[in-house]
Amino acid sequence: MTTPSNPNDRVELLQGTLDMLILRTLLFGPAHGHQIAKHIRQATEDVLQVEHGSLYPALHRLEKKGWLTANWETPKDRNREFKYYRLTPAGRAQLDIEESKWKQLAQAISRVMWPATTGEEG
Amino acid sequence: MKMFWKKRRESDVDREIQAHLDLEAEEQQQENAGLSQADARAAARRAFGNATLIREDTRAVWRWAAWDSFEQDVRYALRSARKSPAFTAMAVVSLALGIGATTGVFSIFNAVALRPLDVRNPEELVLIQPTFRGNRFPLFHPLFEEMQATQQSLAGMFAVSDEPYFKAAFEQSAPGYVRGSLVTGNYFEVLGLRPALGRLLTPADDEAGSKGCAAVIGYSYWIHQMRGDPGVLGKPVGVRERVCTIVGVAPASFAGHQAGLVLDLWVPMRPLLDPKLLASRSMAFYSGVMGRLKPGISRAQAEVELTAIYQRMQAEEKPSPIPGEPPIKRRDNGITVTPGAQGLDRLRRDLGQPLLIALAVVVVVLLIASVNVASLMLARGAARTTEFATRLALGAGRARLMRQLMVEGLVLAGFGAALGILLAYTGAPALARLVIPADMAIRLETPLDPRVLGMATGSTMLVVLLAGLLPAFRLSAGGSTGLHAGMAIAGRSTGSRSSQRTTRALVAVQLALSLVLVTAAGLLLRTMLHVLRVDPGFQAAQVVLMHIQDTSPSAKFGETDGPDEKARRAALYANLDRKLNSVAGVQSASLSWLGLFGGSYVGLNVHAVENPEGKRFTLVDYVTPRYFETTGMQLTHGRGFGDGDTEGALRVAVVNEAFVRERLAAGSEPVGRRMVMTYANDLRPWTVVGVVRDSKYNNLKEKKSEPMMWVPLAQAPFKVTSASLRVRPGTQTAVIEEARAAMMSVSPHLMVRRVTTLQAQVDQSTARERMLLSLAAGFGGIAILLAAVGLYGILAYAVARRTREIGVRLALGAQRAAVLRSVLREALLLACAGMLLGIPLALASVRVIKSFLFGVTEYDVVAWVGAVVVLAGIALLAAFGPARRAAGVDPVIALRYE
Repeated sequence: MTTPSNPNDRVELLQGTLDMLILRTLLFGPAHGHQIAKHIRQATEDVLQVEHGSLYPALHRLEKKGWLTANWETPKDRNREFKYYRLTPAGRAQLDIEESKWKQLAQAISRVMWPATTGEEG
Repeated sequence: MKMFWKKRRESDVDREIQAHLDLEAEEQQQENAGLSQADARAAARRAFGNATLIREDTRAVWRWAAWDSFEQDVRYALRSARKSPAFTAMAVVSLALGIGATTGVFSIFNAVALRPLDVRNPEELVLIQPTFRGNRFPLFHPLFEEMQATQQSLAGMFAVSDEPYFKAAFEQSAPGYVRGSLVTGNYFEVLGLRPALGRLLTPADDEAGSKGCAAVIGYSYWIHQMRGDPGVLGKPVGVRERVCTIVGVAPASFAGHQAGLVLDLWVPMRPLLDPKLLASRSMAFYSGVMGRLKPGISRAQAEVELTAIYQRMQAEEKPSPIPGEPPIKRRDNGITVTPGAQGLDRLRRDLGQPLLIALAVVVVVLLIASVNVASLMLARGAARTTEFATRLALGAGRARLMRQLMVEGLVLAGFGAALGILLAYTGAPALARLVIPADMAIRLETPLDPRVLGMATGSTMLVVLLAGLLPAFRLSAGGSTGLHAGMAIAGRSTGSRSSQRTTRALVAVQLALSLVLVTAAGLLLRTMLHVLRVDPGFQAAQVVLMHIQDTSPSAKFGETDGPDEKARRAALYANLDRKLNSVAGVQSASLSWLGLFGGSYVGLNVHAVENPEGKRFTLVDYVTPRYFETTGMQLTHGRGFGDGDTEGALRVAVVNEAFVRERLAAGSEPVGRRMVMTYANDLRPWTVVGVVRDSKYNNLKEKKSEPMMWVPLAQAPFKVTSASLRVRPGTQTAVIEEARAAMMSVSPHLMVRRVTTLQAQVDQSTARERMLLSLAAGFGGIAILLAAVGLYGILAYAVARRTREIGVRLALGAQRAAVLRSVLREALLLACAGMLLGIPLALASVRVIKSFLFGVTEYDVVAWVGAVVVLAGIALLAAFGPARRAAGVDPVIALRYE
């Protein structure tokens, strides 16, 4: 397991953001918990470190809400079962909601932080 | 199921996290080739974090947090229930009694008055009942037909005439009795029923001149008597004098149109009834009329319309005025339209009120049981003060503590409810037998339907509120005064004063509630004692009563038997009378048209020959010579009937004292007076030859006897309905057998409906009073027992708590007798408080049983003093044990105790 060279570079996830990242990750196809954590870490180049203490409760919370379904499946290259999560249509819709909320938030923040450039971007 | 689901969820999370850890370990090994498997695993665990916590958190996602801590409370409550088994057993048993009794009585009430018929939209059904000056009045068939044809507010209306003893002959069997009903043709249509087999009756079956006659069989009869044979369709069934054809079987879910009525046979009215009877505007034969409201029409609207139709029809009648009453006005007639979802209301009218009283009685028991458990919990709570104080000190919120106490109440109530429902379910049939008079051909089903379970739940909730909330509130309040107080209580056992006060108040409430039941039981007991002391005017003991029916062809409605027929019947009855009188074991036997306590109220207008204007309604019966001897009625004057009083001889009559008193001039000689009974066109007078002592006619509670007249059956051979046999002790069974044989040998048309005794029939007239007495006495006993246990509990506790104080007192020279007295005084004080509370409560409550009292008023001193004495006695008895223990305290041991 690789850790970022400087622990101070790590970013704490904003509340609710993890759900969105999980949903986004599963857009590529079914994955189990370990893969999801790994994907988020690698995609953000080790900036976002997913706490397992948040990941598993989050997965189950999303499953309970009906945004994910889960199945115990054996991958081709292994001989044991993993719990694979899949996006449900409801989860797909939720991802859009979270994404647009996130965009709004990011835009709002960037307008405050970089007022000059926002005009060009907007 | 829930537990299984939970287990699965847990293993799911475990497996998932294990898979993650294994994968992580693998990767660690791949990255770090030198790592041993164990080290890799350890590294994976380190990287993962606190696996146990994560597992917990993940599982917690699936839980409803409130439920979870509730579960904890339940576990805790179960543990504390196990810790004090005596308390738990007592609480559960008393709650089970309360809940069981309430549920049981309610299930009877439900079956009698609440359960709707299993038909299409039962809530649309209504009962249609004519009234005259506010009293129920029969609806005659012609008026029914006209109303049915003209009304607009009902989708249909039908009439029924129930025949509990319906003579029917199915194939290959002798004629027997079934429970039948004559119905109008639209009966099944209006009810909206589908047959189990074949078809149901239709209006076409109910045509006046129809040759055929269709019959529908009850499902239960079909299954049990015909083994569910589908071949019954098309088979003939002899109904009265006609032969009908079975066309179908009624659905299994529908036994009849009234609670408890299980019908075997439905036949249409018109083919089976005399057209003259149907056309009569004075002869009533309906058991009831029902209808189905059209959608959107309210009962009130229907009532207005039907009343208008009925008043118009009655006005066209031009009624003749009733002698001695004001002239009849249009508005004297009316129609009431009442909810009919439960079907005809006969049973409801008969038993509704006593059942409601019974329900009130058991609710009182339930209250007492709940209060009992509440006070037990409080008393036990006092012993748990340390526990509560500690828990409060350790940071438990008061709400949390209250909730836990509530849950303890809930757990006890839950066990009580489970046991109680079991009790109710198994006891309901026995309770139904107690409640339903034996002479009613009623089979009451008492299933645990949603209403009954709702009642059980409701009473359980009441228990939880009383037995859980009250102690919860009290005890947690006591605890919140502070840790040191709680600790002090724990150390010194002075007890929380306020919780003690509450306990005492609860015991007083229990005593008060018991007083209500004990008083009611006392009043009913006094009533029964009075009833037993009533002289009925005859001797009921050792008289066997056979209800018989002469099914030989009789005169058509409105006609009288011809002389030949009369002579034939008179000879037949004389023959039977002779045979019955010669049966071994029979002291004397007689036949009668009606007989005693048969529930009928039949008479004719009678007047003295010289005063044709003085027609007055008089009860009448036709009897064989030894009637008065058999029933034990005493002649005070003149003679009774003899074998010589036959057709052709002098027409004679016997009257009772009331007749002499009210119908003849004071001081005049009754014997020799000639009276006319206005029956048909036969106005030949009857000469009074004897007077009998007054007797009760239908009910021991009758205040005064009505004028009555008897004439010899031989001179007016109406069809008999009862045979009375005064038998020697021990011969009853043999006599009944021989009497049956005698009837069979005399005529194949004589059928025995029912065999009973005159005593049983007399007892039946006070069945409701007996039922209420046994309920009030039984439950009053339970109530007072519970109250006594409660009282004993708090006194025993108080004595235990004061052991040291008593020891000190004794050491200082107090008399043991004084100590004994002080405990007894406390008990009496509580009993007095209970009575102070209970007497006004009881005064208000006994008013509901007023109509059942006889010979006593509701303020009967004996009953009230008796109740008070019983209560005080029980209180002293309960106090005696603790008092003796207090007086027996050894000062040395008591002081060393600290």
